[in-house]
Amino acid sequence: MWENRCKVAVSGVGFSKITRSADIPLAAHALEAVKAAVEDSGLKMSDIDGLATYPELPATGHAEIDGVTIVSVNCMMAMLRLPNLAWHIQTESVNIGGAVQQATNALLAGVCKYAVVWRAMHNPKGTYQNLPGQFASGAAQFTAPYGFGGPGQGMAVAYTRWLETNNQNREKMATLAVTQRKHAQMNPYAYFYGTPLTREDYLNSRMVAYPFCLYDCDIPVQGAVAIVLTLADRARDLKPKPAYIAGYGQRLHFEVAGRIGSLSSYMEGGRSSSHLTWERSGFTPKDVDVAQIYDGFSASVIYGLESYGFCKEGEALDFIQDGRIELDGELPLNTFGGSLSSGRIHGLQHIIEGVLQASGRAGERQVKGANVSFVGASAPIVQGTTFIFVGEPY
Amino acid sequence: MSDWSKVTRPIPVPNEWTKPFWDAAKQEVLALQRCQSCGHLQHPPYPTCTQCMGIDLKFEPVEGKGKIYAYTIMYHTGDKRFAPAVPYASIIVELDAAPGALLAGNLLDAPYTEAKVGRPVEVVFQKLNDDITLPQFRLAR
Repeated sequence: MWENRCKVAVSGVGFSKITRSADIPLAAHALEAVKAAVEDSGLKMSDIDGLATYPELPATGHAEIDGVTIVSVNCMMAMLRLPNLAWHIQTESVNIGGAVQQATNALLAGVCKYAVVWRAMHNPKGTYQNLPGQFASGAAQFTAPYGFGGPGQGMAVAYTRWLETNNQNREKMATLAVTQRKHAQMNPYAYFYGTPLTREDYLNSRMVAYPFCLYDCDIPVQGAVAIVLTLADRARDLKPKPAYIAGYGQRLHFEVAGRIGSLSSYMEGGRSSSHLTWERSGFTPKDVDVAQIYDGFSASVIYGLESYGFCKEGEALDFIQDGRIELDGELPLNTFGGSLSSGRIHGLQHIIEGVLQASGRAGERQVKGANVSFVGASAPIVQGTTFIFVGEPY
Repeated sequence: MSDWSKVTRPIPVPNEWTKPFWDAAKQEVLALQRCQSCGHLQHPPYPTCTQCMGIDLKFEPVEGKGKIYAYTIMYHTGDKRFAPAVPYASIIVELDAAPGALLAGNLLDAPYTEAKVGRPVEVVFQKLNDDITLPQFRLAR
């Protein structure tokens, strides 16, 4: 077990309003989320002395304009003018989960006391994956000439591999989309709050990149979320009940850029990350009361469930049936609606829900008696990170 | 069958690691990087051997026969360059001679519904311009 198990906790969390497209600069969303997280903690802004984010704009063909389409650490520093700022970082290799892990490490190292991590996501006007241009350079020279444009197709190919080698049926995925949408009806911050989805809606929806139909893809939105992390001893003195980090891990499997479609790389990525999370936390999949697994595309959940060890390889679409992932099921899953129903703000939403479930603060959608709360915060293949939060360390 | 005649494919831009691949393709030869230390064949090209971390890599011709490892059928018309061909099959091929090396392609000369995991395919070459010829795939004959 990890010597720093449960020594760092997440305290406050914050959300901005979520809109379909950008009507105000993204910096305003980020600021709203950060202020809300600090307020939720019961702290003053001047207490904050650490900042971390992963600012990438995943939409291709759109300019990264700081404060408008991304919100860098530099931008946040300019807005907050923190008098006691002592540490900051922007991560690159493992998405927003990496920023949370770096903040955890900084707290353990004693270089800051209260760290804020935010993820702000822009939804550009026009086509999300804007792929004009006559040439394909870098990794794209081996994929773009064949029509592989956005990440959806790269994810879809591994999914056909999974479906056909396991003799599975994509229609079973309706259960995931519909259950997550049901959960989103209990989450006022979800983009699809107030908009239910039926099995028929899923089965009749238009195909985007087979096997993905429209409801296998998360909905691009403009918005931001944020959390405050601090050492466990300090967290206990703050307003909300803390969620302690029992363990974390990151994707350690190597993948060459431009090599797409490898199902085994998803599995290796997920296993490498979760293995250390289980080992560090001392828990096993059977101990988990509630799970959030990143769902930028629905199939990521399938790879996650299998590679993290919740079910056997090839069985995830059967595993999610029969009420198992409902709030009162054996493994309540993506209880906030997931990115499919809450909107594309990458994995910090999943981390926040993991925190709220562990600390008993998830309101109407609270899983009864939940303590061990698992989060897979990105697709396991390249940027995957995993976490376990607990409300009561044991 | 997908109509590729109105599609404007992005033209690959070779770099120092990938130029021998495209030079070979221009001669209608499929050439992959082989590690001179351990014999591993890999694609896409990389500065080191992904198996043994060797740095002595040379491109060698390989037989263009393999199987569809995975595929997707594209319906979305967001990419206007490819919109005229929708729906079309983009496939990932694992060569018989190079397990683990994954090549992207389209399934040519067949309806997109013929794309299935495990189906044998063979390389064909599609000239884009005087400099660049694309390796592509069709069902094995």
